[in-house]
Amino acid sequence: MPILNPSDMASPASGGWVERLEHQLGANWAAIRGARRATAEKRLALRQAFERNIASDTSLVVFGSIAREEMTSGSDSDWILLVDGQAQPEHSEQRHAIAAEFDRLGFQKPGRSGVFGCMVGSHDIVHEIGGEDDTNSNTTRRVLLLLESLPVGNREAYDRVRRQILKRYLHDDRGLTRATRTSRVPRFLLNDLTRYWRTVTVDFVYKQRADANGKWALRNAKLRMSRKLVFASGLLRCFFCELEPWAQEARERLALPSNDISGLLIYMERELSQTPLELLARAASRPSVNRLTQRKLFDSYDRFLAILDDPQKREALERMAQADMASSAVWEEIRQISHAFQSGLKEVFFGDDEGLRKLTTDYGVF
Amino acid sequence: MRRIGFSTGAIAKGDFLSALASLRVFGIPVVELSALRLEELDHLVESLPLLDLDGFEFVSFHAPSQFPVKHERYVIDQLRAVVDRAIPVVVHPDVISTPEAWVALGSQLLIENMDKRKSIGRTARELADLFCRFPDAGLCFDIGHARQVDPTMTEARLILEAFGERLREIHASEVNTSSRHDPLSVYAMFAFHSVSSLIPESVPVVLETLIDQGQSDILTEIERARKALDPQWVRAAG
Repeated sequence: MPILNPSDMASPASGGWVERLEHQLGANWAAIRGARRATAEKRLALRQAFERNIASDTSLVVFGSIAREEMTSGSDSDWILLVDGQAQPEHSEQRHAIAAEFDRLGFQKPGRSGVFGCMVGSHDIVHEIGGEDDTNSNTTRRVLLLLESLPVGNREAYDRVRRQILKRYLHDDRGLTRATRTSRVPRFLLNDLTRYWRTVTVDFVYKQRADANGKWALRNAKLRMSRKLVFASGLLRCFFCELEPWAQEARERLALPSNDISGLLIYMERELSQTPLELLARAASRPSVNRLTQRKLFDSYDRFLAILDDPQKREALERMAQADMASSAVWEEIRQISHAFQSGLKEVFFGDDEGLRKLTTDYGVF
Repeated sequence: MRRIGFSTGAIAKGDFLSALASLRVFGIPVVELSALRLEELDHLVESLPLLDLDGFEFVSFHAPSQFPVKHERYVIDQLRAVVDRAIPVVVHPDVISTPEAWVALGSQLLIENMDKRKSIGRTARELADLFCRFPDAGLCFDIGHARQVDPTMTEARLILEAFGERLREIHASEVNTSSRHDPLSVYAMFAFHSVSSLIPESVPVVLETLIDQGQSDILTEIERARKALDPQWVRAAG
């Protein structure tokens, strides 16, 4: 097996699938490109600020748009200080220093939920998968560590923890390594990703009730677009284990008497270093996916990012009350693009491509 | 049957004569002469011609793990005397400042993979860079270091798959969060066992588990290592 290091493969922005698709379709996804440029600038600022200021056995991990390469002018910053080692007094100081530095660099503060902007030990993230102690916060951090996260500076703790999480999902999935199994989709992982997505959708309604005036429309827009994209990318990461030719060796290793999961683990690490949009573009580039579907997906997502990057429209979404929706032009725009995006996703997962359709049917619901 | 022995430093720090005597009592076939601290080097090298090593099937020598750059030439000169006696020398790659000077040790130079405190030699990728510079060197695979760097043992597997042909010696111990070498727990044994099929039985194993303060004993640790590195162990143990 070639020596693969996930840190070497974490640069999906350079001439990836989205760019290729844009070129093939003669499209102009300026907002997507703009968001990538903005992300690169912010990442550079973070790297310079934290490169040598993160203690050993810890990693500063950022989530959300900066990890997805989708930063717009109003993006907030979700981060944690991930601790994978002995407790040290300086960890607390480091957390405050990080918060101050984010503030100095002009990042918006993390949300008020307490899930981010704090110090998090690795043990619960790795060990509490399922069961009563797998709290909403724990599930969120774990799933987002896999699907949309980025270490800044010292990444060793991050790499270690993520590999341990993956090992849990693959090693504990007994059906995955059964020799008689005809497909190699990591079902334990898939089910947890699905659980997370459903939790997000349910919590959206909970927050709507608990915080009636709190950015309802913006949350709804994100749920329809970026949150849905993250879930879709999670499904694809699981399905690609079965569909991709370059996962062939990893699949064969699973069926050995030693039930060797290491090949699939390394393969998945590489997949996780790709952004959700890159994953979706790769799926949309499968030969049987038609151009209309491709345009629906990426034209709509480009428009979504353009709206978020427009201060007036973003503010309108942030301030919008439910009663104003019917007369809001911005909301109508969100509605239209989210329907197009949903339609494109349905066609990728349930329509155009036989392989994806079969796996979605077999694993996606029951 | 695997040949398993001890590092003299793990049995009696700085007192290789006592350590060798302890190993001879039990007829242990493998020993690594430890000069981990620079101040141990001269005495150990000078003593080499006088040591009774006949009973050992495999003998290696651990070079100092830390010294000022200005002493590098001197250390290499001392190690040449070891290599001249056909004894391989285990070296931590982070002490190498002048790679061309170490090339002279040829195939008797065994590069050890590092623990997570170090910035090089920890992963298969980092070792690949080193072996480019030392094409004749062998690998001393520290399975405890590999587990500390990646508890899933994926990195250990990658290292063994990539450099199995260079494998000349195994270091085994439980490396704790402070990078101290502890006796093997059952969890370390399970972890080591997961890659045992990639370690040929002919490769000698040197235990670095510290037992100098009575933490464990020679035979117990050897038995634990034997089980951990026996591909049949778990099935046999039920």
